[in-house]
Amino acid sequence: MSDLVLILKNTRQHLMTGVSHMIPFVVSGGILLAVSVMLLGQGGVPDPVNDPFLNKLFQIGAAGLALMIPFLAAYVGYSISERAALAPCAIGAWVGTTFGAGFFGALIAGLIGGIIVFYLKRIKVPPILRSVMPIFIIPIVGTFLTAGIMMWVLGEPVGLLTTSLTSWLRSMQDGSIVILALIMGAMLGFDLGGPVNKVAYAFMLICVGEGIYTIVAIAAVGIAVPSIGTGLATLIGKNVFSKEEKETGKAAIVMGLVGVTEGAIPFAAADPLKIIPSTMLGSAVGGAVAALLGAECYAGWGGLIVLPVVTGKLSFIFAIAVGSLTCALAIVFLKKFITSKVKINKEESNDEDIDISFDIG
Amino acid sequence: MVNIIAVTACPSGVAHTYMAAESLEKAAKEKGWQCKVETQGSIGIENELTAEDVANADFIILTNDIGIKNQERFKNKPIARIAISDAVKKADLILKKIEENLNK
Repeated sequence: MSDLVLILKNTRQHLMTGVSHMIPFVVSGGILLAVSVMLLGQGGVPDPVNDPFLNKLFQIGAAGLALMIPFLAAYVGYSISERAALAPCAIGAWVGTTFGAGFFGALIAGLIGGIIVFYLKRIKVPPILRSVMPIFIIPIVGTFLTAGIMMWVLGEPVGLLTTSLTSWLRSMQDGSIVILALIMGAMLGFDLGGPVNKVAYAFMLICVGEGIYTIVAIAAVGIAVPSIGTGLATLIGKNVFSKEEKETGKAAIVMGLVGVTEGAIPFAAADPLKIIPSTMLGSAVGGAVAALLGAECYAGWGGLIVLPVVTGKLSFIFAIAVGSLTCALAIVFLKKFITSKVKINKEESNDEDIDISFDIG
Repeated sequence: MVNIIAVTACPSGVAHTYMAAESLEKAAKEKGWQCKVETQGSIGIENELTAEDVANADFIILTNDIGIKNQERFKNKPIARIAISDAVKKADLILKKIEENLNK
């Protein structure tokens, strides 16, 4: 039983392993699909007769997005019980898609499949049967159980849940979408690529999969703002930054433009109490502007690098600019008017919150 | 001389993985320790640890944000599991804790 507790305790790690392997599918599939739709310019699926090339491009993109589901599940399972879990989880998630269980179905299939295979691998067999286990028993029984649970038990309710969640998100109007944007922005700007940020990012990927591109744009802005904003701050507030910080600032701007939130980390590490509130504020404001202006982004990534697959390009750029400027001004303001004290805090926090566990083999 | 090895990996595999590797290497250098870091980023495994590296290591540092590939290599070795953000920001502290552990 303690094994199960351990697996569940590390749920986040397993889910993130899955998400990390899914990202290339979302990015490549999403962008190729978006490019085909954009080149057509009518906001619909390219027709195979009139636009054969664009239609084929669309199909390539759609294949990428479809495959993201089984790969997500497969690598959630892989994180729990390695190679043997790949097939049961992928097949289970694919079965889930017939009910529209999508992203959540994949997470569930991945966890269930991983746990089932974990216990199947534990079964003690006589030596003659040992080679039969990994080739026949584990894949067949594992897949039957995992895919069976999705097919007969969980597929339908999870599918219903996903559909209703999607239609609810799609129907979000001015007020509520701005609140969502503020929350997502604050999460993205909070730990700059850390766990909280990745939860918001995973949510963004769900929205790519479900085709809710306004929310994707909010996240794409929120991802870019912290790095660009802190970099911008080093340009605006010349006398509150050291020479090294100014160099780091330039690199941060570049990282922000290509959608890497981590560019702000060196600043946040040095002065978390002033930087993190500013990056949260900047991302939230940028996200809210994107939401209000109704920009849409078709790719599961952030920054100006996705601009080619954004509709409402000016709104998108404007949202990033407003967010970054807000972030930069907040940093410069805090740095100028609140001094000292923080150094002491930093020393303290350095010794306290470190998460280390030893496993002396 | 203390010889440590580490494997770093993060969900997106583009930034934290490498920042953590760099900061661990730097902190080890300051201490005069030998340190080799394998990165498991989105490109794949780079600077891979050899069986010899593992055999010679006094301590192994693994990040715990996502599953580390080929973990079975480290069987029976002392392992410290850390959050990747701590590796980026507080590598020196991590090494200090490991030092305390080694001196026990």
